[in-house]
Amino acid sequence: LTHLDTTDILPSPETARALWLHHESTTHSLAQTLTEHLRLILAPTLATKLRGDFRTGKRLNLKRIIPYIASGYKRDKIWLRRSQPSKRAYQIMIALDDSRSMAESGAASLALKTLTLITRSLAMLEVGEVAVVGFGDEVKVAHEFDKPFTSEAGVDVFSQFGFQQQRTDVKKLVEKSLGLFQNARMSGVGRMEELWQLQLIISDGICDNHGDILRLVRRAQEQRIMVVFIVVDATASQAQEQAGADTIERPKAQDGRDKQSILDLQSVDITAEGKVVRWRYMDRFPFRWYLVVRDVVELPGVLATALRQWFAEVVDAAG
Amino acid sequence: GPTHDTAEASQSKVQIRLTTRHSDIELPEDPGVLLVSTGLRRYALSSLVNNLLHTEKPIPFEFLINGQFLKTTIDEFLTANGISAESTLTVEYTRALIPPLHVASF
Ligand SMILES: [Mg+2]
Repeated sequence: LTHLDTTDILPSPETARALWLHHESTTHSLAQTLTEHLRLILAPTLATKLRGDFRTGKRLNLKRIIPYIASGYKRDKIWLRRSQPSKRAYQIMIALDDSRSMAESGAASLALKTLTLITRSLAMLEVGEVAVVGFGDEVKVAHEFDKPFTSEAGVDVFSQFGFQQQRTDVKKLVEKSLGLFQNARMSGVGRMEELWQLQLIISDGICDNHGDILRLVRRAQEQRIMVVFIVVDATASQAQEQAGADTIERPKAQDGRDKQSILDLQSVDITAEGKVVRWRYMDRFPFRWYLVVRDVVELPGVLATALRQWFAEVVDAAG
Repeated sequence: GPTHDTAEASQSKVQIRLTTRHSDIELPEDPGVLLVSTGLRRYALSSLVNNLLHTEKPIPFEFLINGQFLKTTIDEFLTANGISAESTLTVEYTRALIPPLHVASF
């Protein structure tokens, strides 16, 4: 057990730099893999589908013929055309959990590695704007959308995370993010193009207020903001991390018995009458799109799968 | 009921791991880490341990965190002792040995 620390422990610029460079070099080839996956998913879809309804075109839209005749040949948008690929722009916000549980569980190191992998990959892709926010008690913007995410930016972001915040307010995060996305939509690059907004939350996944969060996540969905929750589950990566003679990694949780996968975590509710109800924590997790990552090696594959599914759904919904 | 849901939603949670030094009241299966409301008191935790022990007749338990008896809600205990709810708490349970009269005089 650790007592509250009143001193705000942020890494020194040297530590932040060493840590960033370390993660950057160890995730380099993975970042290339992720970039390739994302290139296929995020690139504008090729115009292979014929879409209606036009006055001239390539092929008749058979569904429009009867209404066309019935309308006395007035409703004449009866042609299909190959649709132009729309130029898409992206705004991607990465929200990193800065709460103390991240340090206690040993998830902080895996989370920073994940952040490095994703930001490097998006920078290689040159697909749009990237922002980074930290959350815990408070939500803090560590990197703004309108600045390029260079290696220097990475070092700067790392220096803002101490993993010492005393709460994990995911509700506040989603609430604030909706506002940040709205502002970014107004001022961003995407004014003239089709703008897609995506949030990747990197956290150990332990949070309260599931009911409120669920409502906010629905609102994000209505505003076409995709929220993917990446649960870093440090339990399995522990042995591997320690084997890697990582002298600049942050200290791990001191009590080895405390480590357990979030997949095995049980929630308990005890009523005033003493009735006990238990359920698997992840069964009522309020985010629809979530991934559990135990090793950063898994990330390119699982993230690509989630994004692919989401895009398929959005394209479907758009008809 | 709806009142209960509201109360639950506003309360924060903490991860706990139950332990005991007495082999006769050890849990038959290790439930691992449990996520509970910080609003819980001794009575509710006692219900939990009885539930995990599948006791026919409830045994009253006392709870120790960092070697100190829990006499308030977990939340109040954490605040009073400067412990973060972001930590996993080791909660030791033991049979309540203090007679009720003695408890009342605290
Ligand atoms: Mg936390």
